[in-house]
Amino acid sequence: MSGGGRVSSWARELAVGARFALAGGPGWTRTLLTAAGVGLGVVVLLLAASVPHAVAERNARGDARSPASLGEEMPPGPDTVQYISNGTEYRGDSVGGMLLRPDAGADTTAEPPPGLDAFPAPGEMAVSPALGELLDSPEGELLAERFDHRRAGTIGAEGLKGPNELMYYAGAEALPEERALRTDAFGVDSVGTELPPVLVLLIVVICVVLLMPVAVFMATAVRFGGERRDQRLAALRLLGADTDMTRRIAAGEALVGALFGLVAGVGAFLALRQFLGSITVWEFSTYPGDIVPSPLLLALILVAVPVSAVVASLLALRGIAIEPLGVVRESSVPRRRLMWRLAPGVLGLLLLLPFVGSFDSGSSAEQGQVATGVVLLLAGTTVLLPWLVERVVGRLRGGPVSWQLATRRLQLSSGAAARTVSGITVAVAGAIALHMLFFGARTDQTVATGDDPDRAQIEVSRTSADGGDMSALVGRLESVPGVTDSFGSVVGDAVTETGDFTPVLVADCGTLRESAVLDSCANGDVFIANSGDVPESRLPAPGERLNLAVSWETGEAAGEPRWWTVPETAPLVESRPDASGQEHVGILATPAAIDPGLLADPWTEVLLRVDPHEADVIEHVRNVAWETSPPAQVWELESERVSDELLQVQQALLVGATGIMLLIGASMIVSMFEQLRERRRLLSALVAFGTRRGTLAASVLWQTAVPVGLGLAVAAVVGTGLGALLMSMAGLRLGGWLAFLPMAGAGAATIALVTLVSLPLLWRLMRPDGLRTE
Amino acid sequence: MSSTAHDPAPPAATAETPLLAATGLHKTYGSTPALAGADFAIRAGETVAVMGPSGSGKSTLLHCLAGIVPPDQGTVRYNGRDLGSLSDGERSALRRADFGFVFQFGQLVPELTCEENVALPLRLTGTGRKAAAARATEWLARLEVDDVRHHRPGQISGGQGQRVAVARALVNTPRVLFADEPTGALDSLNGERVMQLLVAAARDTKAAVVLVTHESRVAAYSDREVVVRDGRARDMAGAL
Repeated sequence: MSGGGRVSSWARELAVGARFALAGGPGWTRTLLTAAGVGLGVVVLLLAASVPHAVAERNARGDARSPASLGEEMPPGPDTVQYISNGTEYRGDSVGGMLLRPDAGADTTAEPPPGLDAFPAPGEMAVSPALGELLDSPEGELLAERFDHRRAGTIGAEGLKGPNELMYYAGAEALPEERALRTDAFGVDSVGTELPPVLVLLIVVICVVLLMPVAVFMATAVRFGGERRDQRLAALRLLGADTDMTRRIAAGEALVGALFGLVAGVGAFLALRQFLGSITVWEFSTYPGDIVPSPLLLALILVAVPVSAVVASLLALRGIAIEPLGVVRESSVPRRRLMWRLAPGVLGLLLLLPFVGSFDSGSSAEQGQVATGVVLLLAGTTVLLPWLVERVVGRLRGGPVSWQLATRRLQLSSGAAARTVSGITVAVAGAIALHMLFFGARTDQTVATGDDPDRAQIEVSRTSADGGDMSALVGRLESVPGVTDSFGSVVGDAVTETGDFTPVLVADCGTLRESAVLDSCANGDVFIANSGDVPESRLPAPGERLNLAVSWETGEAAGEPRWWTVPETAPLVESRPDASGQEHVGILATPAAIDPGLLADPWTEVLLRVDPHEADVIEHVRNVAWETSPPAQVWELESERVSDELLQVQQALLVGATGIMLLIGASMIVSMFEQLRERRRLLSALVAFGTRRGTLAASVLWQTAVPVGLGLAVAAVVGTGLGALLMSMAGLRLGGWLAFLPMAGAGAATIALVTLVSLPLLWRLMRPDGLRTE
Repeated sequence: MSSTAHDPAPPAATAETPLLAATGLHKTYGSTPALAGADFAIRAGETVAVMGPSGSGKSTLLHCLAGIVPPDQGTVRYNGRDLGSLSDGERSALRRADFGFVFQFGQLVPELTCEENVALPLRLTGTGRKAAAARATEWLARLEVDDVRHHRPGQISGGQGQRVAVARALVNTPRVLFADEPTGALDSLNGERVMQLLVAAARDTKAAVVLVTHESRVAAYSDREVVVRDGRARDMAGAL
């Protein structure tokens, strides 16, 4: 046949396949199933391909609103603006904010930050749409108490990182010089912050783990309805089609399904994009316009999906001889060989091993090498699984009828079963590796705060020009509903006449007892506290004079000395950490002994005990703290603090893993339904001669459980190995060896669910209707 | 089934009393009537051909007789017992122990070898693996297909497959064999051989055979013919 003839023959056969795909009834069902599966995968791929652009746009808008002259001393001018970053927190969400005051007032020539048409006038504020909505709602009532500005505008999208960001700009008549900074423009060049190596590894592995099952799922989707298609192809063989022609016709069928899926996926992606603008995940929201796939990745998806569909379809026909007379016989399938199936895994290992103990974020080439290594190692799992399933089920003998039916079915076509579970195997192996990496990273990056939440639950602290106003702050905090006890103190510094530095803490006896072991205490008493770590010679002695006018910034005497003498009667006491974990060494004094107002640059700290059943105590406390100038900081006390980045990555993993499990579960349900429908007549016949329902149900369960059990075993071994390898690369202490247990349990639960969902169809197909031939 | 009476003790079938009898069977699928008052009876060891055009209700009659499908009205009695009074589990147990089935396309389990397929009804009634395999081999030999006992159904011809299906139907020595178009998918030569073996084996075991067919040459193997038309059965012996 000439080249042109061959092309036209190919085109004709592909067109015949396409015609079958669009034929009514079963043809459409199969095409729609394939399209749904491929479409689902395309949506996930397009979303993943959009992440870089979405993050870049978000960061760019964040950079565009940052003051350009951060930290620089700048004289006031017509184009300069004074500003104070004045964010707060509300019910776990950050509220960004900035107080602005153009030095030239209304005549300023300075450009306002992006998203604003003009600087808000004193007493006015511009808010983001999300903050405006929150402040107007009953849920935002408490937050609204922090703002007495008139709302005069809305921040535009170009000034917000995402549509749901809570943000405001408020105009001020005057700003305290000691806190205010000055700038002449907004917008900084993007400064990439380098993530810790362990986080880079985590992100790389998460991307691989979440996307690989999608590829496996799509490969499974293009094989939906394969047996019915083979019967059609057998009929064509009867009409004179040769084996190659039937393969091309099958490819045409798969191509149409994949193209439909591609179109459906792109459509669903565009629809989902609009919806994504309205949701917030971990304070991360994004504008629909930011969700744009990278052009290169988009092109890759548009080309790779249909091509992969055709290749997967042709591979599925390998080992099947489609013959005329409507008979599809299994041709001899070559025994699976182990050697090449080990190759991807070994290659992956070889790519990863050079980084053991030495991975430090690395260049993008090194990150690519790690990603490739992880992909190969996990892909190695999927190619190893069919070999393992074939070998193991080939040895299964004996057992009850249900077991026999299941194992024989697996022996006949173990590849299909292995394919079905390979997605879950990759996901579980990856999840185990990630879990171990998280275990190590959390151990490494979890900081023991020293807080004792049993003694107090909230800490309020602020710098103050006057230590004397501590009692007023304590009084206001004590009036907050739900606050049951408070421990207020003023901390300052002092130097001895010889220049030795010593801290000074002034508080009532109740609070002092939180910081030291006191036999007795009365207002007017003074104590010299030591933790045992400081030599007594470094501590002030009774009768020694201390200068209380010490600069907090320099730690040296500043301004007119304010002398105070340590009483001769001051005893040496043992200090102990307070509820916030701070240990106070030096002078502990009651207010009658030292007037807190004498301390220069004092620091006020109030620890609060609260009623855990009272709602929103911390928000009420924040409202009180917000009224002080400068606003006091409010923290919840917790015994340990995990790196925020780590927590976010872990949450991302959870969401992603859940989605992937659902995807795999859906694919398994479809596969199981298809398999049951194809066996409809056989099931009816088995029931006709008295086979118990339970026997057939158990056989379905075994048929799923055996390959899945093997898949999970492989996943446990590969996942634990990969986890250990990644921990070594990140220099983490090895541990978390039982990480596979919950993951394996989750995988098993998915299988149980799939089997349960399949049972109603099984019962239905076991009805005698399947025996009817007319 | 419409029967409400529960028989206290099943009387044994004699040469004169029918082993399996149906009276006034009605069955409708959706709005399509399949049986409209069909009667049927078969004695032990008898072979009855059920004939009729496509869609006349032959297969539905067979399914009702075998207790696979409950009739909308009418009664089916096996060995004096009303099948309508039995639970689904009891009817399944009856089919396992006393009935055998051959279908048009064999309906062998494709994953099992021929020997395992034939042994399946025995395994379902609790017979041990080795004993079941021995009996299966014996029956495969009787049906002249013992040479393919380790083959799977996909590896043998249609005629061989149908003989394996007959062996499977008879391996538990059923008292009634239901054969639904057993030669429908075979060429005439293979069909003849299958019928010869089926009838001979059934006679050896004294099984009654309900043979659904639309082919006269297949019906010729029977002792009696019943024609189903428009959902009613007519005994052709009475017509002669």
